[in-house]
Amino acid sequence: MTGEDPGPLVRLFGLTGGRARPPGESFNLVAIVTTVGTTFEQADLTPEYTAVLRTCRIPTPVADVAAQLRLPINITRVILGDLRREGLVTIERPKPAAQAIDERIYREVLHALRSL
Amino acid sequence: MTDASAGIDDLGLIPRKTTTTVAMDFGRVSLDSELILYLFGTPGQHRFWFMWDDLVRGAIGAVVLVDTRRLADSFPAVDYFEEAKLPFVIGLNGWEGQYPHNEEEVRDALTLAPHIPIVRTDARQRESVKSTLISLVEHALTMRVSVPGRRG
Repeated sequence: MTGEDPGPLVRLFGLTGGRARPPGESFNLVAIVTTVGTTFEQADLTPEYTAVLRTCRIPTPVADVAAQLRLPINITRVILGDLRREGLVTIERPKPAAQAIDERIYREVLHALRSL
Repeated sequence: MTDASAGIDDLGLIPRKTTTTVAMDFGRVSLDSELILYLFGTPGQHRFWFMWDDLVRGAIGAVVLVDTRRLADSFPAVDYFEEAKLPFVIGLNGWEGQYPHNEEEVRDALTLAPHIPIVRTDARQRESVKSTLISLVEHALTMRVSVPGRRG
């Protein structure tokens, strides 16, 4: 759908040093990421890492971090795992109830899609 | 295509493919002020399957985008979603509006149950994608209403 978009200039696996899985404890798409403190203007971080820290000053779900960075979700997860390991972000599990979708939501999604 | 995938991604029947397999496409559609639809696209190749288990959890459903020139590549994806009991529809991807195989041929070839929708689509066209997603949500809702407790 983005035929004109030349895509990222850096190969995605370059951003993660070839890694496909994040370090540390696993976390899912709706876990909430929050930047710790305000000490993130560190010169040795790549722009993507800095962008995550800037975005997550407001607590943000993992899926939204990926959307805002326009990066694939698993690349984003590797970056988030690195930042957590460095103590620069926290990643909190969502409440289990947030996962459940009831019938009303299906109907709302359907209605909204039709009127797009 | 990257050099690294030479010999891994079989493009024998797809001579015009020039783009690489990106590990995951991502979309975020704001439906209204409180409702956000997330779309995750992931390649069918087996080496990306480890991503799928996580994506199906809590999902409404899946679209299996089928290229009829290499139908056999879709068998594992169909099996996967049947096994995961996640509602899915088959999106027959057309190229330049050409659909070399009709729906019933594809249903037979994939041994799909009669209730699983097959829709023609062009993944590059907004309206086409939208109508495919509508088919999927309708199907997921039907499954949910008609077979309580079952999601496939």
